[in-house]
Amino acid sequence: MQGTIVENLSGRKLSVLVALLLIAQVVCFLIGGLIAPTPSSAYNVLGSNCVDPGNNTQKWFYTRGEGSCKNRELTNYRDAESMLEMANRVVFVFQIPIPRENVILDYSRWQQNLIGVLQFDIAYHSENEMKPRTTITIDAKLGYRNKGDPDDAWKPYASSVEERSLDCVIDSKKSDYFYNCSIVPLFELGSLHHDYYLLNIRLPVDHFKHMNEGLGQLESIYLITINQNGGFTKVWVSLKTVFFPFIIGIMIWFWKRVHQLARPPALLEYMLIFLGGALTLLNAPLEYLTLYFDMPFMLLLGDIKQGIFYAALLSFWLVFAGEHMMVQEDNRHNHLRVYWKHLSAVGVGCLSLFIFDMCERGIQLRNPFYSIWVTDIGTNLALTFIILAGISAGVYFLFLSYMIWKVFQNISAKRSVLPGMSAVRRLHYEGVIYRFKFLMLATLLCAAMTVVGFILGQVAEGRWKWDESLEIEYTSAFFTGVYGMWNIYIFALLCLYAPSHKKWPVESESHSNSVSEEIEFSRLPTEPSEISSLASFARKAALD
Amino acid sequence: MTAHRSTWAATFAVMLLLESTVANWWMLGMHGSSADLNPLSSHRDNCLKLNYLAERQQQLCGLSENVLTAISTGARLSIDECQHQFRNSRWNCSTFNNSGNVFGGVLSVHSRETAFIYAISAAGVAYAVTRACSRGELNECSCDSRVRVRKTKKKWQWGGCSEDIRFGEKFSRDFVDSKETGDSPGGLMNLHNNEAGRRSIRSRMERVCKCHGMSGSCSVRVCWRKLPPFRVLGEALAQAYEGATQVRLSDKRRRHTKSKRLRAVSREIKPPNRTDLVYLEESPDYCERNDTMGIPGTKGRVCNRTSPGLDGCRLLCCGRGHNTRMKEVEEKCQCKFVWCCKVQCQTCRVRGEEHTCK
Repeated sequence: MQGTIVENLSGRKLSVLVALLLIAQVVCFLIGGLIAPTPSSAYNVLGSNCVDPGNNTQKWFYTRGEGSCKNRELTNYRDAESMLEMANRVVFVFQIPIPRENVILDYSRWQQNLIGVLQFDIAYHSENEMKPRTTITIDAKLGYRNKGDPDDAWKPYASSVEERSLDCVIDSKKSDYFYNCSIVPLFELGSLHHDYYLLNIRLPVDHFKHMNEGLGQLESIYLITINQNGGFTKVWVSLKTVFFPFIIGIMIWFWKRVHQLARPPALLEYMLIFLGGALTLLNAPLEYLTLYFDMPFMLLLGDIKQGIFYAALLSFWLVFAGEHMMVQEDNRHNHLRVYWKHLSAVGVGCLSLFIFDMCERGIQLRNPFYSIWVTDIGTNLALTFIILAGISAGVYFLFLSYMIWKVFQNISAKRSVLPGMSAVRRLHYEGVIYRFKFLMLATLLCAAMTVVGFILGQVAEGRWKWDESLEIEYTSAFFTGVYGMWNIYIFALLCLYAPSHKKWPVESESHSNSVSEEIEFSRLPTEPSEISSLASFARKAALD
Repeated sequence: MTAHRSTWAATFAVMLLLESTVANWWMLGMHGSSADLNPLSSHRDNCLKLNYLAERQQQLCGLSENVLTAISTGARLSIDECQHQFRNSRWNCSTFNNSGNVFGGVLSVHSRETAFIYAISAAGVAYAVTRACSRGELNECSCDSRVRVRKTKKKWQWGGCSEDIRFGEKFSRDFVDSKETGDSPGGLMNLHNNEAGRRSIRSRMERVCKCHGMSGSCSVRVCWRKLPPFRVLGEALAQAYEGATQVRLSDKRRRHTKSKRLRAVSREIKPPNRTDLVYLEESPDYCERNDTMGIPGTKGRVCNRTSPGLDGCRLLCCGRGHNTRMKEVEEKCQCKFVWCCKVQCQTCRVRGEEHTCK
């Protein structure tokens, strides 16, 4: 008779393994906290106002280098009534990145992605009060240039005319005070393949279409660029590179062990391999490829990989709980079909998030300026999918809590008859219950730590200081810590739930001991008996 | 242009007579102050010729043309803001284009007004330099000092170069404070007020955040800080002006070091903290014209007959009474403008009374 390793492992070995994994966990946390910088950083870039001498929308305007245009304050034009159509000729120029410490900086491919957000500084004027919500039309052009190119050799990357809504409020209506306007997300680039980027923005006025008529006295536009930090990517990728072979190794080991058995693999084992596979997908360090190829789909791919992993993890928990409480007709238990109701919650949730993501980041592959949130239909659609995902999450957790509650009920029911068992068997079952609860606890602990860490991170921003010399980059530590934690968790699962080759003590075969008769396994002698004895134990409990 | 030149030459002559200590960098904020720059000679040489700048200021000016532009913008901003905040007061922050001393003799008294001017102009330089930095006009702007990598390029690639106003503050400290020494009470006061001005920016910056985690969720969030409009700073400093603390020098000998510090004149007054403005002397009388002090007086100023405040005729005219005359003015009214530059107004004729101080 065989079970899984977790049941047969001695307490000492188990504690050594747990200690090792805990050390690995602490190391992950510290790597993020001490080595990695913050995950991403933001830059305020103030737009230079250039004036298009003609009406050539094809031309690129840039502020540094040969042939650049000079910034002119908009206030200089304010009284120039003759300058009609001036608005259509003002170009807001953002040339990024901006120089620092006398060094001309360029984007590194390690910096992975770029998000652009606009912030409008609009001064209050009593003659020109803005409505709380204004629709603005932005004519945006994004170009790029690489090192070694001439200063004016900007090549088009994307261009689009976008409508965005701008919510502006003001507390004290005094002139020259700024409205408090909402930020306007402009673009998201999934790859940062080139060295320099240039954004040209116009806010064209058209009285027929009532375009940009509601805009107040615009003083300046800030572009906030957000990119992932190269150092963070490096630490992250190294972490992935280390985990990747470990998880693959343990998966191969696990699968070999399963195949050494006479019976076909059980559902739980399939689930474990699926979970390992999903994690391997997440661990695959594809970021190395972005150093050589332009891969704008990395953001989307990252989301999908993470989605698959969550789906696998959630399904695994369901099946794990289910396999330990199945009632009566156990010839059916070994199929995923039994769980279709429960799993459909996971499926619907993940699918709706996937569709939402495709609508947002999928379309952004074609037009980086696209956002689903700007139109009312898009917002409703997006909200529908997100609410649907939320409902499925709720349903899922109801199912899961119910199943776990059932399992614990069965176990406690069974525990009451434990004193009547033979000593060896009782010790064994107590050990099994203990370890099951231990793993349950580990899962809960992992989940709780993720949640607590997240909340702590939101409350106490950024960095934590323990003393003057030691600064912990908390956000990064949280990310690497959580990532490491789930890797270690799954590693432990694959380790501990692999079939054991140890033999049970033969005492269970001796039916002479009639005291233990009533809790004897009701297993047919012909049935392959290698499924987790815990599962069979729980099933037995349900039968009672 | 030639006329301009000659007045500038005259200015320089006057300035040299007035000793270089009174010469001040606010000149950069006056209209046309860059006209005396020779386009043919190098920028560094031009800066050396601006002898209203202290030596360190000339060095900083010589860094690049954009640095000079940023400082000029800062000076202009602060002068404009000062005039806006004090438009209704007896002292209306008047400036003089024809002498080296932009604010006249007002600065020679260590009064509240001096405190305000120093604070707002230190803030103005920090503000303008910060803006120039985020526009990418200055190459010197600093990187995030918290990233533990030495070389800039490596630093940028590793942990980014996020920067808020630290460089602006540092530059302002370097440029504006370079003239002052901590030896004299006046110097201590100016340094204190400069710092108070700069701190007024930092404390009024607004934090804005954006989430960009998986599928746009809030698991990853990045925050940055946004500069307030300069008007807000002006208003804040004007309030600090109202609540400024009178101080005196107290040099207590502590063991071996002699520390000079400013303390409130009496124990009942709350000791000033670093964001409060401080002054040493009471303000001079701004009512009457005083040519040696460079105070224009309030004669001829327009006042508001009904207002009980500082701009009311009673207070503004210092009890001398006011003249009233009927006036018909053409005004632009019902203006409607589309952003940027197109203003559509109607002209209205308004008949009204105008009161001026006697």
